[in-house]
Amino acid sequence: MARISLRNVEKRYDDTLVLRDCNLDIDDHEFVVLVGPSGSGKTTLLRIIAGLEHVSDGELRFDDVLVNDIDVADRDIAMVFQNYGLYPHMSVYDNMAFGLRRRKLAAAQIDARVRDTARMLDIEPLLARRPRQLSGGQRQRVALGRAIVRDPAVFLLDEPLSNLDAHLRVQMRAEILKVHRAVTATAIYVTHDQVEALTMGDRIVVMNRGRIHQVGTPGALYDAPVDRFVASFIGTPAMGFVDCSVERHRERIALVTQSARIDLADAQACVLRQADAARVTIGIRPECLALASEDEARAAEVVVRGTVQVVEMLGAEQYVHAATDGGALTARIPRHRRVRADDTVTFTAAARDVHLFERDTGRALR
Amino acid sequence: MSSVRPRDAVRRATRAARWAAIVVALVVSLAPVYWMVATSFKTELEAARLAPTLWPHEPTLANYRGLWSGSLPFLAFFTNTLLTCLATAVAAVVVATPAAYALSRARFRLRGVIGYAMLVFRMLPLVVLLAPLYLLLLHARLLDTHTGLVVGFATFGLPFAVWMMKGFIDTVPIEIEEAARIDGYPRWQIMLKVVVPLVVPGLLTTATFVFMEAWNNLIYPLTFITTLEKQTLPAALVLAFTGQFKTDWGGMMAAATLTTLPLMIAFFAVQRSMVRGLTSGAVAGA
Repeated sequence: MARISLRNVEKRYDDTLVLRDCNLDIDDHEFVVLVGPSGSGKTTLLRIIAGLEHVSDGELRFDDVLVNDIDVADRDIAMVFQNYGLYPHMSVYDNMAFGLRRRKLAAAQIDARVRDTARMLDIEPLLARRPRQLSGGQRQRVALGRAIVRDPAVFLLDEPLSNLDAHLRVQMRAEILKVHRAVTATAIYVTHDQVEALTMGDRIVVMNRGRIHQVGTPGALYDAPVDRFVASFIGTPAMGFVDCSVERHRERIALVTQSARIDLADAQACVLRQADAARVTIGIRPECLALASEDEARAAEVVVRGTVQVVEMLGAEQYVHAATDGGALTARIPRHRRVRADDTVTFTAAARDVHLFERDTGRALR
Repeated sequence: MSSVRPRDAVRRATRAARWAAIVVALVVSLAPVYWMVATSFKTELEAARLAPTLWPHEPTLANYRGLWSGSLPFLAFFTNTLLTCLATAVAAVVVATPAAYALSRARFRLRGVIGYAMLVFRMLPLVVLLAPLYLLLLHARLLDTHTGLVVGFATFGLPFAVWMMKGFIDTVPIEIEEAARIDGYPRWQIMLKVVVPLVVPGLLTTATFVFMEAWNNLIYPLTFITTLEKQTLPAALVLAFTGQFKTDWGGMMAAATLTTLPLMIAFFAVQRSMVRGLTSGAVAGA
């Protein structure tokens, strides 16, 4: 068990700043997911926490103890690598026992711990095999087993499921959560897959270009993204965006585009008035858009017109990707609605489902 | 259909040309070996004939018998060569492995310079090192000793061994070492317990190359060893079989055949792992 805190952590390679001003507090036994696109710095941050990379600037603490200069061997962490990192020349048993032997545990104790862990992960029959004799899923279990058999304070996972097929990935997600519940370690999990992040994390840290954009529960990130990047990264299909101009007539304030009519809720108007922004981008999630007739549109708070570009059929529903004059929107609609490419469509939405962002900075207005 | 036939013909012609090239290469490389073995079974007269015979007309083992029963300590030459070459190969991989590990993994100033300096030393002709090595061995009182010869062989074999081992160590995925660091092992133990077992084919390949190179080295034993009984096989071949008035071709070829044999055995023994090592990918959880 360990609380982890990062204060203004930066990482530089020569003149390139790859992590900047990272602040994060992780509680005991929490399961935190670092998510972001390639090159966002999530793996570098994980490696810094592991001690495999040095901090260039800032403070990294485990339970209030500064660990910036403490060697990886003395941090009481365990890590599961993307490519498993198993010792190819050792049996599964030896892979798991290797770290325990270094800690000079008695042979009987090592044996008991390896067998207990193997039983928990269902890999007991594989103990005598070499890694190359195992399937991808089995190797992943062994890598997990090797990490937890040591009962570490911090359990780090670097995209551990990225080499598995879709079916196995879903199965292993549940397995990892089960393992985390069974151990006392604090877990930090890196992934670029936001579905993995949403389904697994107690809290999620969204990163991009070496910066932490937002830290929050899956629900908070989905409902209240702090900027346009988080809004577009979290959620599948991604949130659609339309650029608008802000028009002010004394007390009245309105968002204007050629293809949309937007009646803002009072709270949103109030935010816009205070923000003093002239150019705004609205964001609407696919499930908040409905396909409407002209009659239905008249009564709606938000109406956007566009031309259908692509229709993706998913069985129970379909995704309609449409272009408007201010940007692209995606709508999730029931499969029975007949829509084809090049159709002109009208979408409606409730004002409360509209997210407002400053167009220049991408910052959420709320 | 009509377009298939010309393509078949081209394919057949290509295959024929390839086989022809292989046969020519084999003849060029194996003819001297054949000549050596054939001559070793010829009588003294037949071996020295002006019109050479393609195969021994009166095959004899006299040349081989002569090696053991003659005045020359052939067995001593053989043992000298085997021991010095084995010692060189072992010393080279023992020293080269940590050096290669450092060059492969550690980040330090002058890392590139040191690496390339080794490569440059390797490119120097053997004789360039002869005089300085002679002086060094003289001052260290190692002239005319097998230890001195091993030092000489190693100076030339080491740079090559380091580069070769570095290539093998580079192929070991870094995650495996990081896993061992997280498991709490210090660097040198990671090298011994994780990296070395994964590059065993590389170790064998490197040791074999160094061994063969030392075995074939003629100029160092000729220069550093002055007592005939301490001499290695290649040098002994030159010294013992070439007389002032005649050359014992049959005896020389019999000795040369026996000299080549251990090299061939060494090569064939590690050939499989050598190919695996050179093409690599053998390591890691692939």
